[in-house]
Amino acid sequence: MHLPRFRHLSATSFEEAVSLLNEYPDAALMAGGTDLLPRMKYRLDSPEVIVSLKALPADSPSVTPEGNLALDPLMTLTAVNRSDMIREWAPLLSEAAQRVATQEIRNMGTLGGNLCQQTRCLYYNQRHSFQFVEPCYKRGGEICYFIPKGKKCWAVFMADTAPPLISLGAQVKIIGQGIRQILLEDLYTGETEKPLAMASGEVLSQILIPKAPGNRGAAFFKSTLRGGLEFATLSVAAVLDMEDDGETCSTARLTIGAVSAAPLRVRKAESALTGKRLSKELFSQVADEVVAEIRPVPHHGHSRAYLTECLRAETRHALCSAGEGIKKN
Amino acid sequence: MEKRPGKQLLELTVNDEFYELAVEPQETLLEVLRNHLGLTGTKEGCGTGECGTCTVLMEGEPILSCLTLAMDCRQKKIQTIEGLDRGEGLTVVQDAFLQQGAVQCGFCTPGMVLATTALLEENPHPSQEEIKKGLEGHLCRCTGYNKIFEAVEQAARGKSRDGDLGSV
Repeated sequence: MHLPRFRHLSATSFEEAVSLLNEYPDAALMAGGTDLLPRMKYRLDSPEVIVSLKALPADSPSVTPEGNLALDPLMTLTAVNRSDMIREWAPLLSEAAQRVATQEIRNMGTLGGNLCQQTRCLYYNQRHSFQFVEPCYKRGGEICYFIPKGKKCWAVFMADTAPPLISLGAQVKIIGQGIRQILLEDLYTGETEKPLAMASGEVLSQILIPKAPGNRGAAFFKSTLRGGLEFATLSVAAVLDMEDDGETCSTARLTIGAVSAAPLRVRKAESALTGKRLSKELFSQVADEVVAEIRPVPHHGHSRAYLTECLRAETRHALCSAGEGIKKN
Repeated sequence: MEKRPGKQLLELTVNDEFYELAVEPQETLLEVLRNHLGLTGTKEGCGTGECGTCTVLMEGEPILSCLTLAMDCRQKKIQTIEGLDRGEGLTVVQDAFLQQGAVQCGFCTPGMVLATTALLEENPHPSQEEIKKGLEGHLCRCTGYNKIFEAVEQAARGKSRDGDLGSV
């Protein structure tokens, strides 16, 4: 399968990438290329110019003067998984990076690229040249083929590394006209056609993870059919921060991925954990509350009923696993 | 609209040989290997990163040549299946695939062999689970995978004359 024609420009810094993106408004930014190039082969995107970041070496993780762990978005997912520092600070990110796609794609795909993935759908992500049907919402039409009664696009955001980073309270730095720093969860708009709150001349330049308080339990679970080479059926990232007594939860963060156009924090369910003594019974109750709070979007052949039960089971599973990581006094 | 430039010069190292070529910006590494260099051992399967057939090693790490722009391979060392041939016969991994019957139609084999070579370089004694994880990106429609896993296990046990993954 051939790519459409384009101009290839190589950026040697994030600042140069920003100025090239401003110079060529129809340019696409490419880090690993594993999301963009298949889209281009399917002719879902045909940018005039590709601004490649492949020649830019990724910095190793470091600790900022404010005490945050700073990650270069150009780290490959393999490098994220292999980093001892990330494993120590954010084991669930390390786990999530290892669950993305395949070894080859993890060697190419970057952390920033994963966070800036496009939303996907079984109908949309394929070649359309052989089809004699009207385009769907995401292709500029007025119909959703996946949910035929849908009045809008129902594509799903499926990146695996976003839920753990949101549960860890991560922030991202974005270079554009100036530098702005926002919470990662605010990067996601929830709109399927424009899932990222970034202008076309902006580049994700750093990911900051705050230092974990003393006693924390955390877990990430990705549910899949095959176990490899697959986008998530759904994913759950749970972070439980504990009081000094080791039994009461001071802050809980629970993020669900691949059930909507953005990763979702389940705030009601989180507040049901805060200030409580943790137990398996409480985790089961919270899993029921998550199911009441979220209505999963059916995707990739999974029905809403299946996803709902899957969500209940995986949430309980993730909370119990996070609970086991808590140090008892 | 601004006129697009045509071919651009690219310096590339493939199988320890240095090449200087003129390529179109939209050409993938796969297309350059097959169409410019005649290295047709690397196959195109899906073309969109779902099958692993086009796997080559870049700086020793397996990557998908169908999703790598040739222009992004400047200063990089590429190894294809042809690069395993040092004129001394089959490597330990190739020999194990042959002996275990891990090759039927052979289309996925170049990718499988390179991914296995990279896996065993990094982890000389992988468990069954680690083998499955290492080869998760490679589809084979013939063998049912068991023979391939057995071949990887045999390769992990086997040693070449020099004690590495070179020729048997």
